[in-house]
Amino acid sequence: MTNRIKELRAKENLTQLDLAQLVDVRRETIVFLEKGKYNPSLKLAYDISKVFKLKIEEVFIFEQ
Amino acid sequence: MKKNRKTLLIIAFLTLLVVLGFIIITNKTNVFKGLNLLIIVIILIVGVIAFISAFKKDQEEKAGLTTEDELSNLIKYKSGYHAYLASMYMWLFIFLFKDKFPDVETMLGGGILMSSLIAYISKVIVKKRIND
Repeated sequence: MTNRIKELRAKENLTQLDLAQLVDVRRETIVFLEKGKYNPSLKLAYDISKVFKLKIEEVFIFEQ
Repeated sequence: MKKNRKTLLIIAFLTLLVVLGFIIITNKTNVFKGLNLLIIVIILIVGVIAFISAFKKDQEEKAGLTTEDELSNLIKYKSGYHAYLASMYMWLFIFLFKDKFPDVETMLGGGILMSSLIAYISKVIVKKRIND
C-alpha cells in the first residue's frame, strides 16, 4: 500500500508534527507512514483522510 | 507520574553507583576485568538506554504530545513476543553452560541483564521490519 500523505501535507502546509497532533499519534508514526514502512489501522487511515478532507482511497492507494 | 519516573531513575542510578563503590572498596581488587567488566558494561548500556528513553518520553509529555499510539503499541507487542522467545533460548544456553559461571548469582544476574538487552535489541529489529 502506498499513500499521498507527504504530498498532501505539503499542499496543506502541515509539518509532520502538526499532522501527528491532529490525528493524535506520535510524529514517528507519520514518518513511518510516509516512508511506506507501516500500514495504518482503518481508524488512523480515516482520521488522516478526514484531515485532508478526502476519501480514504484518495489518500491511501491499495495495490493488488 | 512524570516526577515519580524521574525520581525512580535517579534513585536507581545512585543506588547503582553506591553498590559499585561499595564492591570496589570492600574487595580492594580490580573489579573492572573479565566477567565483571562485561556485567558492568551491560548495566551501563541498559541504564543509559532506559535513561534516554525516559528522558525523551518526558520531553514529549511536557510538549503535550502523544507518547503512545497504535504503532508504538504494535512495536511493543511484537518485540515483547520476540524478546520472550529469544530469552528462553538464552536461558537454555545459560543452563547448558552453567559450569562456565563462577557462581549462581553471577549466572542469574547476567541472565537477567542479558534479557533486558535482548528486549532492547528486539525492539530495534522490530522497528526496522515493522511491515514484514
